[in-house]
Amino acid sequence: MTPVSTWRWPTPNGLPPRSLIISALVLLCALWLTAPIVEVDFVRLFGSIGKMAKFAGQMYVTPDWHYVPQLLRKMLETIEMTVLGTAIAIVISLPLGILAAHNATPHLFVYRLTRDLLSLMRALPELVWALVFVSAVGLGPLPGVMALAFVTVGFMGKFFAESIEVVDPKAVEGVRAHGAGWLQVRLFAMLPQALPDIVGSVMYILDHNLRAAAILGLVGAGGIGYDMVMSMRMFQYDRIPLIALSIYLVVTALDRASDYLRSRIIHGSRKSTFAT
Amino acid sequence: MSAITIQSVSKRFPNGFEALKGIGAEIQSGSFTVILGPSGAGKSTLLRLMNGLETPTTGEVRIDGVTVDSGKLRTIRSKVAMVFQQFNLVDRLSVVTNVLTGRLGHRSWVGSVFYLFRKEDMDIAQEALSRVALTDKAWSRADKLSGGQQQRVGIARALAQHPKVILADEPVASLDPVSSEEIMNLLREICDRDGITVVVNLHQVELARRFADRIIGMNSGKIVFDGSPQQLTQSALRTIYQREGIEDDTSLDMALAYA
Repeated sequence: MTPVSTWRWPTPNGLPPRSLIISALVLLCALWLTAPIVEVDFVRLFGSIGKMAKFAGQMYVTPDWHYVPQLLRKMLETIEMTVLGTAIAIVISLPLGILAAHNATPHLFVYRLTRDLLSLMRALPELVWALVFVSAVGLGPLPGVMALAFVTVGFMGKFFAESIEVVDPKAVEGVRAHGAGWLQVRLFAMLPQALPDIVGSVMYILDHNLRAAAILGLVGAGGIGYDMVMSMRMFQYDRIPLIALSIYLVVTALDRASDYLRSRIIHGSRKSTFAT
Repeated sequence: MSAITIQSVSKRFPNGFEALKGIGAEIQSGSFTVILGPSGAGKSTLLRLMNGLETPTTGEVRIDGVTVDSGKLRTIRSKVAMVFQQFNLVDRLSVVTNVLTGRLGHRSWVGSVFYLFRKEDMDIAQEALSRVALTDKAWSRADKLSGGQQQRVGIARALAQHPKVILADEPVASLDPVSSEEIMNLLREICDRDGITVVVNLHQVELARRFADRIIGMNSGKIVFDGSPQQLTQSALRTIYQREGIEDDTSLDMALAYA
């Protein structure tokens, strides 16, 4: 009689690694113990379904069409803030990204210093920096752009650095072996290879920044956020779905553009990723 | 005159592995030298020392009388081109841009920041591409080419640099026999016509016999054979490829019977 075949993991003894089991147990215990601290309470969660439905029901009204022109104006301002803030961040992040990548940095000390600077810049959210800049330069979109650019450099510099760190060292050696200088190796061997990743990060960050820019109005730093918060507070539920829809549409459009751009850069042509 | 002087060079890697154990050789200007030897014999390390991609633990390597050291790397490398087994092209750049990177050693970073090249660099690159018969692929992306074509781009990049020496580290190891023949012919022709010194690491004894002026055999970090293709007898091959601790090496016998 042949033995019944049993399930086993691809490890020497057929069991999952002990470190994995211990980590999973520790994680589960930690979750179990900490849930009450942040008031995760299933009774309360299910009890509030009715109130949620009631709030959602209030949105189910005829949209305030007269509000559309102002919405478009505010949305355009939000998009402009996003694009400008991100563009400024790209210019600053590229050199910082090179300094913060361990295979491109001139010195380990510079690497650490740049990494720490980037962490500091993204330590606080946009909203907090916007408050700081509003008190410095006054109300309006300008402090919003400054806050966006500032925090974005913190993220983008790190993303760029990580894209540079994974480039193929063979091509880098190929260019270096032919006498290219320090900057030339980075520009001709590292950046072209990191480009698809970099474009991907930029598109994701644009998406993120649009949503961040949409709430900066909360502290008077321009964009659609002010309208959104005011309509919530003034119970103008006929505006909220319009605002949400407009943000959703812009984010979706960005997503499509990102797909298109990335496939063009990765394949070097219009060829879609699906047509194989 | 000797283009390359290797003087009692040894190389020990940080992990303790001694790749080269006191090697000395002179390589004549304008000659075609093939280095044979089993994997791990130190062939690649020796080649990489000549380009400054590695630094010797003791001893020194001189190119045209100039010692290869970290202070003069750019000057040395602008004279010594390198062709790699895996081509080492920048996949995402066009063929012509890859060839132009061979010119970077002769240019400052100022134009490079904007990806700008001089007109004469462009002419040199085009000429190099026509030498390897790839003019029609100039604007294709490097990763769209076949292996043999990519290696020809690698050679064009080397040529564009107007080097005195071309080092080729197993240039045909990942190519089919026909492409290999093409690449070896190209290297031989470059040696004959331009008087460029060529040093090639190979695994194919037969190619070494047909193309080399001089064959250097290496085994576990030492030079164990140095002579013309005619002098490369079966017993010489046996010394080059013998493996330590294996008495009756049938694999060795079979391999050499067909070499």
